[in-house]
Amino acid sequence: MMPTGNLARMVVANATRSPKHFVLSAFGIVVGIAAFSFFLAGTLGVSDVLLGKVFPLDQVEVIAPHTSIAGKNLSQKLTADTVAEIKARPEVAEALPRMTLQFPAVGYGKFEGQDIRFEVGGFTDGIPDVHVADDPKLVDVFKDWGNDPANNGPACVPGQPKNCPDPAWQYCDNVDKVCRKRVPVIISPTVLELYNTQVADSHGLPHIGAMEQFIAERGRERMHFWMGLGSTMMAGSNVDIDPTKHRDIGAILVGVSPKARRVGLTIPIGYVERWNRTFVGDKAASEYSSIIVTLRHKDRLATFAQWLEDGPKLKLEDQLGSSFATAIFVIRWVLLGIAFVIVIISAINIAHNFFMQVSERRREIGVLRAVGATRADVMAIILGESAVIGVVSGVLGVLLGFLASLLVDWGLALAPDFPFKPQTLFRFTWWNIAGSLSVSLAFCVLGGLLPARRASRMEPAAALAQN
Amino acid sequence: MTSSVISLKGVTKSYGAGAVRTPVLRGVSLDVAPGELVALVGQSGSGKSTLLNIIGGLDKADDGDITVLGHAFRSTSEQSLARLRNTSIGFVFQAFNLLDHLTCLGNVTLPASFAPITGDVAARGREALDRVGLSQYAERRPSELSGGQKQRVAIARALFGRPKLLLCDEPTGNLDSATGAEVIEFFQKLNSNDGVTLVIVTHERRVSSIAKRVIAMRDGEIVEGEAAAAVAPGADVGGPA
Repeated sequence: MMPTGNLARMVVANATRSPKHFVLSAFGIVVGIAAFSFFLAGTLGVSDVLLGKVFPLDQVEVIAPHTSIAGKNLSQKLTADTVAEIKARPEVAEALPRMTLQFPAVGYGKFEGQDIRFEVGGFTDGIPDVHVADDPKLVDVFKDWGNDPANNGPACVPGQPKNCPDPAWQYCDNVDKVCRKRVPVIISPTVLELYNTQVADSHGLPHIGAMEQFIAERGRERMHFWMGLGSTMMAGSNVDIDPTKHRDIGAILVGVSPKARRVGLTIPIGYVERWNRTFVGDKAASEYSSIIVTLRHKDRLATFAQWLEDGPKLKLEDQLGSSFATAIFVIRWVLLGIAFVIVIISAINIAHNFFMQVSERRREIGVLRAVGATRADVMAIILGESAVIGVVSGVLGVLLGFLASLLVDWGLALAPDFPFKPQTLFRFTWWNIAGSLSVSLAFCVLGGLLPARRASRMEPAAALAQN
Repeated sequence: MTSSVISLKGVTKSYGAGAVRTPVLRGVSLDVAPGELVALVGQSGSGKSTLLNIIGGLDKADDGDITVLGHAFRSTSEQSLARLRNTSIGFVFQAFNLLDHLTCLGNVTLPASFAPITGDVAARGREALDRVGLSQYAERRPSELSGGQKQRVAIARALFGRPKLLLCDEPTGNLDSATGAEVIEFFQKLNSNDGVTLVIVTHERRVSSIAKRVIAMRDGEIVEGEAAAAVAPGADVGGPA
């Protein structure tokens, strides 16, 4: 076998000596690999947006199937035992309860000079504050301040301006007449998107980009509102609340989190437990509306979902996410299949080109054999030439795919805003690039295999006899 | 005869198959001693070029024993045969067979690509070109040379590996008489000064006139006596051994 350095020099010189052949062989592979890397990065990027932001799949919500007879809710109840049972599953990394406010309540206040009112009873969930502990913007503010004297006081006179020492974070309780920490509220990106796309323009309200920036520009006070517990703006409510229990609670919107309930408000679960106990009873304070489950990996979802149905007879709250995951999975393979077909056709084209070249270069191959090349040397030279085309085409293909993705992202940036509009629709990873280069190399070498075999089997005398 | 450079016994070769099978060599036996300059003469189609290719390992015999430079081809691997061509056998062809995409120096040093040759390959290539009087053409392409110059570059390539055996197939066939005479003179010096064994396939009397032995072929066989004289009139035709 010829020395590797000599082989490399000869291969590069041969591969580049005929630009026409090189372009003819490389063109299809460049297009195929560009499509391959573009589709792969595109489906990964879209999957990131859909499954990472819109339908986060490593975090699912478990609910009890709804059952009612004669208007009575007979659904299975989720309790602390259910949480423990789920937490014990090997697929589960964390299980946290979620409790819904089970009595009428209304939110009201002023926003941009306008009076606003919205229903929060049934639309407000409580979650453990540890659930957002990984968010540095929320970890110090999303807490159950409770009735701890350290977090409350001093005494105040309701209705007076600036009647508490820290008006940004405190309000004057109109029953106890003492300053209390405002209840921290978070909303989901969905709510923010709905506000920006459906409400802001139609009501002449400002768009909110980054919530933190909005708060910094306008001040914490603009995020204040009140929660009227026991009140409702729903017509026809059958729930009678003892008027003496009515209470107005100061609240403050502290941020946006994908862990917040998709539509509605989310507050620390301690508040909901206490208020449910006060307004509904002890039972309501021990039953959860759902359990938020963090899986160890997205791939474990199917196993976990099956166990839920077979074991505790529960189900996932949102099947849409897993449906999207399946759809994206199928689309990804269809697109990659198309790219593969392009690459395969290109490999056939390469084989055709190399067959022609081998035929044209019979005499050259004969000379190489006459001066000492073995069959293996000839095979290595032809395969090496196809490998050079593979590597160069792979690099050019990935670059072309990347440029195409920049073009699409540029078009995306110019497009009007839409919910969950990402900065990019693509995710190029090292394994995407390495995979594209490998596919290019593999298919080019595959294309060169038969011509190389034919070249290596030529008898030198017959090859030299070519006119 | 273990001291022979070339030893052939009953070598046969046919082309085609079945009814169109055409015998080209019919049991050729031949011994060439070290330092001999042998001319292989005969009509077109007599089998001389095929015999030369078989001696050089460029073609395979159907049957018979072939031993070249101590290598019995029957038991020599394809790699060893390639190595033998690379280091010990030089070829000169009628059509020169230079690679147009390489310079003259690149053509001359081509054998070095297939062997881990130590030392300065380019210097050795220039030395080979110098021997044929073309050192100033090292960086030229073959397409820029005359026929005679091309053949001299081809000879330099054949000499690059410092071969013990030089096989030439009609080396003057494409050259004018003056250039052909220079090439013949070069071969004669190579044989007498360096002791290189040469086997030259030729039609030309002036080539056979410098040969120490002329072997005549007709219809795939070596012929002697009157038959040989008819093949190569005026030549001192010798036998197979």
